[in-house]
Amino acid sequence: MSNGQRKIERSFSRPVSGDKLKRPPCEAACPIHTDAQRYIQFVAEGKPAEALAVVRETNPLPQVIGRICPHPCEDACRRGQVDEPIAICSLKRVASDGAKAAGLGYRPPRPEFTTGKKVAIVGSGPSGLGAAHDLALMGVKPVVFERQPEAGGFLRTGILSYRLPKNILDEDIDYIRGMGVEIRTGVGVGEDVQFDSLAREFDAVLIAAGLSDSRTLPVPGVDLPQVLLAVPFLEAVNAGRAAPDLGKEIIVIGGGNVAIDVARSARRLSGGKLTMVCLEADYEMPAHSWEIEDAKSEGIEIICSHGPNAIIGDDRVEGLEVKKCESVFDERGRFAPRFCETDLSVVPGDTVIIAIGQMSNLSFLPNNGPEVNENGILVFDRKQMTTTRSGVFASGEVVTGPGAAVNALASGKRAAIAVARHLGVDVDFPHDPVAIGEVPADVAAKVKPAPRRKMPARPAGERIQDFVEVETGMPEAEARCEASRCLLCAAGARYSELKCIACLTCVRVCPYGAPWPDRDGLGGISPERCQVCGICFTQCPTKAIDITAKPEDQIAAEIEATLAGGGGELEFGCWYSQSRVAPEAATVILPCTGRLSVRLLLHAFATGFEKVYLAVCSESDDGHFIHGHRQARAAVAEAQRLIEDAGLDPGAIEIRIEPELKCKKE
Amino acid sequence: MKAGSNLEKVLESGVFAVTAELGPPKSADPQVIIDKAGILKGHVDAVNITDNQTAIVRMSSAAAARICVEQGLEPVMQMTCRDRNRLAIQADILGAAALGVRNLLCLTGDHQCFGNHPEALGVFDLDSITLIKMVREMRDGPVFQNGEEMTGKSPRLFIGAAANPYADPFPYRVLRLAKKVDAGIDFVQTQIVFNVGKFEEFMHQCRELGVSERCRILAGVAPLKSAGMAKYMKNRVAGMDVPDEVIERMSAAGDAQDEGIEVCVDVINRVREIEGVAGVHIMAVEWEKAVPEIVKRAGLKP
Amino acid sequence: MITAERKNFDEIRKMTDPYANVLVAGCNTCVAVCLTGGEKEAEQMAQQLQIARRRDGIQGGVDSVTVLRQCENEYLDAIADQVEKADIILSTACSIGPQGLVFRYPAKRVVPAMNTNMLGYVKQHHVWTEYCAACGSCMIAATGGICPVARCAKTLLNGPCGGSQNGRCEISPEVPCAWQEIYDRLAALGDLDTLKRIIGPKKWNLSNSGGPRTMKKEGF
Repeated sequence: MSNGQRKIERSFSRPVSGDKLKRPPCEAACPIHTDAQRYIQFVAEGKPAEALAVVRETNPLPQVIGRICPHPCEDACRRGQVDEPIAICSLKRVASDGAKAAGLGYRPPRPEFTTGKKVAIVGSGPSGLGAAHDLALMGVKPVVFERQPEAGGFLRTGILSYRLPKNILDEDIDYIRGMGVEIRTGVGVGEDVQFDSLAREFDAVLIAAGLSDSRTLPVPGVDLPQVLLAVPFLEAVNAGRAAPDLGKEIIVIGGGNVAIDVARSARRLSGGKLTMVCLEADYEMPAHSWEIEDAKSEGIEIICSHGPNAIIGDDRVEGLEVKKCESVFDERGRFAPRFCETDLSVVPGDTVIIAIGQMSNLSFLPNNGPEVNENGILVFDRKQMTTTRSGVFASGEVVTGPGAAVNALASGKRAAIAVARHLGVDVDFPHDPVAIGEVPADVAAKVKPAPRRKMPARPAGERIQDFVEVETGMPEAEARCEASRCLLCAAGARYSELKCIACLTCVRVCPYGAPWPDRDGLGGISPERCQVCGICFTQCPTKAIDITAKPEDQIAAEIEATLAGGGGELEFGCWYSQSRVAPEAATVILPCTGRLSVRLLLHAFATGFEKVYLAVCSESDDGHFIHGHRQARAAVAEAQRLIEDAGLDPGAIEIRIEPELKCKKE
Repeated sequence: MKAGSNLEKVLESGVFAVTAELGPPKSADPQVIIDKAGILKGHVDAVNITDNQTAIVRMSSAAAARICVEQGLEPVMQMTCRDRNRLAIQADILGAAALGVRNLLCLTGDHQCFGNHPEALGVFDLDSITLIKMVREMRDGPVFQNGEEMTGKSPRLFIGAAANPYADPFPYRVLRLAKKVDAGIDFVQTQIVFNVGKFEEFMHQCRELGVSERCRILAGVAPLKSAGMAKYMKNRVAGMDVPDEVIERMSAAGDAQDEGIEVCVDVINRVREIEGVAGVHIMAVEWEKAVPEIVKRAGLKP
Repeated sequence: MITAERKNFDEIRKMTDPYANVLVAGCNTCVAVCLTGGEKEAEQMAQQLQIARRRDGIQGGVDSVTVLRQCENEYLDAIADQVEKADIILSTACSIGPQGLVFRYPAKRVVPAMNTNMLGYVKQHHVWTEYCAACGSCMIAATGGICPVARCAKTLLNGPCGGSQNGRCEISPEVPCAWQEIYDRLAALGDLDTLKRIIGPKKWNLSNSGGPRTMKKEGF
């Protein structure tokens, strides 16, 4: 803003306390700590390219993760304490879909490798790619070695295209390549190039080889030709190699996510009956619940609490004999299945695919280290990401065990920092963000309910015919509604103890009881209670309060930037109503126009606008925020008085009633 | 005798006293006062000379009182706290006494916001009670308010005050009058009585506290000119109580002015039956001619 | 606290229009608490002046700056740069503020944007009411802790005038009768005898009537 921006430091200041680092739980729960809230805000405003840019700040594989992530963020989402969590993962995909449709957000930066150092990365899965991406940004040249003919690791060989289309994976990888990351495909370390030569040639080596081998079962009949292992099966399917004749009845052993993928792809290939057998009871299955639901909806039968006893058949598979599994875990929660050896039954089948887990293959490592322990696992320091051999680091599932792609990505990103530090780059491991607490029940009761928008999917009957992507992407209008459900955790009112004069205005005006006067007379604002309506900010007489999500200066800058677009009219729009009240005017979108201070309204005129419209709820509608529309009306009335005194027509500020809040109705 | 005024003599003799009101003109014309005095003279024992009544500027009460003295009509000079500080009040009292004024009614005064100079400073250096105390000490000390002894002739004044039985808090009204008695009043004129029942209750309390023994109480009365005036007084004048039956009587009347006088006479007849009521104070604002008629119909004088 | 209200905008224009560069000086203490002259209001006033002056083609700029308290000289040091550039300072503080600026910057023209009105109590949010007249001789011990000097329209010390009705003052139905409040409170406390004592006349020489007052903390 052009005037009054200078802040006068107090000669006599009060002490500043901490507690300003708390973050939204989605961000804290995310392994790579993506600032989901910020990209969700951009989606809500219909700005997918800006949203994608936020995703890219932490996530080198935005399109991939936007499709396959098990989204621990949503489990943590505080909106779930009101009604249902935000569809954070789907909105990530919306950001990349929207940006792509607009032709934005896919031109990679070209960092200079200023350190002169280079790193060999073994494996081009999410961990290796994540490390390569981040190292490149830190000025280190990464070279990725991939045994398979194409990059992507398990993303390519293990995940089917109905969940992650190959072209999408290609786009994310191409972006990383575009940054100057070299990926040498078809080069097996230990086969085409020796590990020791990498260690000599490069300034550091990162082992991100993943879990490339399937576990098998010590049961009779496992050697029959119709008994397949999950990893080679998925590799073959993904590579489009001629699928084996699976017959009409297929049995998949295992209850994890990979087993589900195997089952769903086998179902598509054979068109026949597909039965899954797993040790766990249905509530114990390690696969994500939504994956199980998808599988069931595609006609897959799941036999829980049964373990394989023998594969039946002489020269070809005829079925699987199973025994009742009484419990999977012992009292201490360790894997120790107990069976009833007499409760046997047979599941008929032509093919058995074993999908009970993967393990690493470290045969490429030389005898002189890094060291591998007696269980065949790489000896590893999980904080420093180091192995026993200097200059050799490790990340991803090869050291963490099986997990989600985003966890591998997080591990790779940490390894990038470890490697960069080793190479003399001045960078620190980040602190893990601490999440704010739960929504107090009385506040949750005041939040306007809004149903979660679901990611549309093709009907089950149609999708089992092919490997085309199941989820079709969320339409923009739906996505904006979904995004506007975000509670903007920890992005609400913050106050400066230096400027607060403990006048209690915020305490008196907050509809949610977020600010409180403490014993010293100094205020505090509870991030758990704050709903980011902005009323306290508009009324604070000393400008001690600002809103983290869209601070006043940012809105002022948006007003100025909007003017540059030409035209003398400005509409302040609302997240919750997608209707424009002044279609000809330039737009600045806010969560609620109750957020507008008189200063901002006057700023529009000082900037050069001649007419300002505000989208405001009707007086009978309480809107998204309690008192939001009343605050907007009060600010408009005051601003009108001021501009009228200044010689302008008070009608130059006009309230227009929003037709309805689309995002509340269903 | 404290002051030797006619009013004092009438009241001390036990005769039912009658006072009226004379508003000075909004000009320097003495004839207005002479004319009004001519109407009232012979019908009343004394006449109140108002002091910038309802905060509207008029000829000073001291000067107007002197003109009355010259006309042979005894004035009760009114003195409010609104327009003068203690220096000006004492000076005017000395001057008025020197000019022959023998009765002084001590008032707080209507707030200046009601008058024609609402932007004026309200002085209120004293309030009615400290004013009374000051006047009593000037007469009986004789000392000035600061305690300094007065040498020479002190002002001989029969000291009065106002009381309003219809203001709130009602239980405090008699206590406040008692406070004025303690401060030194000799007589009191009440707010206009229309609601006789409430006035009886007030008088009962006065008797209980011995107030009616220690000062002479004149009940305020007034003739209404119209039903509209009755309604205005009921609704718009603070501290007035006009019962609905009075308004109905005025509305039903063919000759409203005559009925107004009749209502007034009825009130007089009723209040003079109340023990402790020593007289009436007839407030016929800008309707002095009604006073002789009221006095006549009520059979009061001469 | 001290409360002050914005002057009429035309009056502010008349004072400032002849000068090119205006500095609106806010004060973040009393006038901020009463929501009329803190940093927020000072900025709004600067914006409003800017809009008006630009519309009327007046050359020059309007800036704003806010200090914690204009009544304390040390706080005014920090704004020397802005003051230097200004042709006139428009203070949104209570009237002490512009006078403090006059003392600190004697070469500058300083005008008030506010009318200082009272020592107020916050009855409710956005509502202040006069509770103290700074008379210099507090007597509320005798009046149930309610000040008739500030809260009675006639400064009566010995009970309500005849205009008290239904708990309201004769000057306006909006104004409560302080003496009714005093009476009710003393009645509730069983202390009505207090009201029999004659109080006063008051020593007005201890108030501003006795001339400008100076307070010194003794012993330092």
